[in-house]
Amino acid sequence: MSSSTSARTDDPPAVVLTGITKRFPGVVANSDVHLTVRRGEVHALCGENGAGKSTLMKILYGMQPPDEGTIEVNGEQVRFRTPSDAIKAGIGMVHQHFMLADNLTVQENVVLGAEALHGIGQKARKRIIELSGKTGLNVDPGVLVEQLGVADRQRVEILKVLYRGAKVIILDEPTAVLVPQEVNELFDTVRGMQEQGYTFLFISHKLDEVRAIADSVTVIRRGTTVGSADPKTVSSRQLAEMMVGSELPSPETRESTVTDKVVLDVRGLKLMTPDGSRPILDDVDLVVRSGEVVGIAGVEGNGQTELVETVMGMRKAGSGTITLLDADLTKLGTLARREAGIGYVPEDRHRHGLLLTQPLWYNRILGYQTRKPTSKGIWLDTDGAKKDTERIVADFDVRTPGIDVPAAALSGGNQQKLVVGRELSGDPKLLIASHPTRGVDVGAQALIWDEIKRARAAGLAVLLISADLDELIGLSDTIKVMLRGRLVADADPNTVTPEDLGSAMTGAGATSASVQETGTAHGTAVVEEGAN
Amino acid sequence: MITTMEEKPHVPAAPRKRKIPGWAVGVLGVAGAIVLLSTTSYMTGFPQLTSSGTTQTAVRLALPILLAGLGGLWAERAGVVNIGLEGMMIMGTWGAAWAGYQWGPWAAVVAAVVFGALGGLLHAIATVTFGVNHIVSGVAINLLGAGLTKYLSTLIFLPLSNNPRQSPPVTPFDTYSAAGFADWLGELEAGQRVFISDVAGILRGLVTGVSPLTMLAILLLPLSYYLLWRTRFGLRLRSVGENPHAADSLGVKVYFHKYVAVIVSGGLAGLGGAALVLNPGQLSYLEGQTGGRGYIGLAAMIFGNWRPGGLLGGAALFGYADGLQLRSGGETVLGLVYGVVILLGVIVVWQLVRRKWFSAAAAIVVAVLLYLLYVSLDEIPSEFVSYAPHMVTLAVLAVASQRLRMPAADGLVYRRG
Repeated sequence: MSSSTSARTDDPPAVVLTGITKRFPGVVANSDVHLTVRRGEVHALCGENGAGKSTLMKILYGMQPPDEGTIEVNGEQVRFRTPSDAIKAGIGMVHQHFMLADNLTVQENVVLGAEALHGIGQKARKRIIELSGKTGLNVDPGVLVEQLGVADRQRVEILKVLYRGAKVIILDEPTAVLVPQEVNELFDTVRGMQEQGYTFLFISHKLDEVRAIADSVTVIRRGTTVGSADPKTVSSRQLAEMMVGSELPSPETRESTVTDKVVLDVRGLKLMTPDGSRPILDDVDLVVRSGEVVGIAGVEGNGQTELVETVMGMRKAGSGTITLLDADLTKLGTLARREAGIGYVPEDRHRHGLLLTQPLWYNRILGYQTRKPTSKGIWLDTDGAKKDTERIVADFDVRTPGIDVPAAALSGGNQQKLVVGRELSGDPKLLIASHPTRGVDVGAQALIWDEIKRARAAGLAVLLISADLDELIGLSDTIKVMLRGRLVADADPNTVTPEDLGSAMTGAGATSASVQETGTAHGTAVVEEGAN
Repeated sequence: MITTMEEKPHVPAAPRKRKIPGWAVGVLGVAGAIVLLSTTSYMTGFPQLTSSGTTQTAVRLALPILLAGLGGLWAERAGVVNIGLEGMMIMGTWGAAWAGYQWGPWAAVVAAVVFGALGGLLHAIATVTFGVNHIVSGVAINLLGAGLTKYLSTLIFLPLSNNPRQSPPVTPFDTYSAAGFADWLGELEAGQRVFISDVAGILRGLVTGVSPLTMLAILLLPLSYYLLWRTRFGLRLRSVGENPHAADSLGVKVYFHKYVAVIVSGGLAGLGGAALVLNPGQLSYLEGQTGGRGYIGLAAMIFGNWRPGGLLGGAALFGYADGLQLRSGGETVLGLVYGVVILLGVIVVWQLVRRKWFSAAAAIVVAVLLYLLYVSLDEIPSEFVSYAPHMVTLAVLAVASQRLRMPAADGLVYRRG
């Protein structure tokens, strides 16, 4: 390491961006951005969603040309017209949403577009196996990508970049899809590659992770770089305040508002896979009380989605009962369940929450087409819908030019605020929130947390599913761990750490004392969750 | 999207071991089919089931379906659903007839490919450049193909043949037979020995009266496989059908590959049209000649799970059933019903071994019904006979519960950026 340390100071930096400005019609995505990445370091780029990180990376990766400013790679000024130019200059990008073809093999995915290097046959295969070691990928190149888990897919993405000879690797929100254990493994890989001379540009808004892995940090806010920090000395909270430019929210709820009035009572819920071979939900019992937030922790694909969709009536349970207050919902359809008082923030707002091409007020009607204020008898009440949309826009701080713009015109955070606002309308008894702050910026996240907390204090029962363990621990009054369709463990949010929860989620520590028994060994564990 | 990941992220994927390689499955399938047919022919006493005449007709009838299916394979592997194959095939038939009666069979082949490819180009412009729904565009092309050829044949063929629905006769290809070998096989076939005569009959049908077009079509199958699965171009083309965004991010020219695929697809469908026109039984353009073979080709491709080998199997199945009913009529098709009963019997045993009680029970019920049908009828009513290929396919598709896997981005409109 000592040699590379000295090399860092002598050599020209790996990447220098100077005065980058990029305008889109009506918006300035980047203005006067400066970024210097030294060779062999892990450089983190932090910022809220919509702060301009993605645009900046697209510029660096040649997907969009900058309007002003220069890019230097290894001391030489370059101009990228396409990603291939960037790849030739040794820059590779691992996209947040994997760019893989599931039905092709690992090898085919890796060599695609770079067939000129080693062909598509045995030579390529050899080279891939050679490089696999560096990324920690331990599968045969002939395996179909659809058979790989998320962490391995990410490694295939890194492998793709390496195969093309990249020396500077952009990782765009790489940990968003991983559980803590996998994050650690990824970080080990990154450190190992760093020692071999690779440079990383790490984009994230998870500040604990940034501090754990980065050698230096640049913060971007409203399209411009607002400063750099040394991750060894700065706290997550300070970093976050640089990102949003003001005091920070936290997901933590201080005082308990749990009552003993049972709102949602799920008993013996079972759901089989469509072919009937294996249970997706296996005898799930769940109680949510008024004023209580029950969090479900679990690695994706362990039945959380199906649990929510079964409670909502989108899937038909094999057996079991679902009761809301005193009403038996088991045989009702989704609309009837919503009318009975369930609000639902779906995990994928584009698939289930919104009609992207329709105006905001039209989206307000969805799910409320039979209720006031959006309907009168058998007719829709467009005036009422518009008026109530105005209310949501004002109360939930939805940043939009008006209620007549299509939902697609809003940023992810504002779309989500609209959805949460809608689902909290009409005085629901139960809110089912699936990943309510996934892919939204810190500001919107804070607002959504506040609104959930406020509604909880007013007696709302909340069923919360989240992959963000800090959010889960911060908001929940009770945490249940879901594994292979069963609720396998309870955790006390006052004492549990994300690591404990993570190991319970993978099944490794489902029986460990820290998760099932509450408040013994980890009494001081909740320290800085709030900062995130 | 992260939300649609079904897999458990932390399960290390073991390299999948395919117990039987693909070519072995094919060999086993062919062997199984021959055993089934020879057993049926022995039990029912219909030697026509495996006669060389039936096989020869089957090959001729399978050819257009095979070519249309190959066309479908190309387009769909690049992510474009090509329901317009039928229309492109119709254009191909007209082109083949128009060039064929003037300049001979090779000109017919070339013109058919060009006409079909023009249809493909149109489909590509609509679906790739303008983002029209693939089905809508395909149906439009089918209508256009039928209408355009009707107009053109009234304009051009009517003065020559005095029939707006038919072209003047086309010069056929010379056909080739493996003379000595075929004669020897003929002796074996005539001997009526169990199994040996059946195999000889089928082989003799395959090596007798082979036209250059047949050879070309048969060659196109491995050629397509090689191009699509063993070359850089093919990898890019398939990647476009699986995940165009990923392909684009890696510098693959998505639109270009889709265009090439759909144009080739149209050309192949057009060639299928030429195979119809140059079929020794017809030798001219006839309105309505394609009779839905473009769709059947598409079905054969789906039956073959978007793979060339399976596609060949599907086309052979259709062609065989069609050839049998044309050649021998309702009585023999009834023999085929007996064959299906035997096949179902095998499936029942297989499902019982796998402990799939419900499938086994369903197969038993169908087998019993079909058997009753077989013993109670002397021949299948002629109204039904012409539907034999469709019936056979329905039966096979219904019981062969295979895991079909279409290209992931098939039928989706891709927009850059």
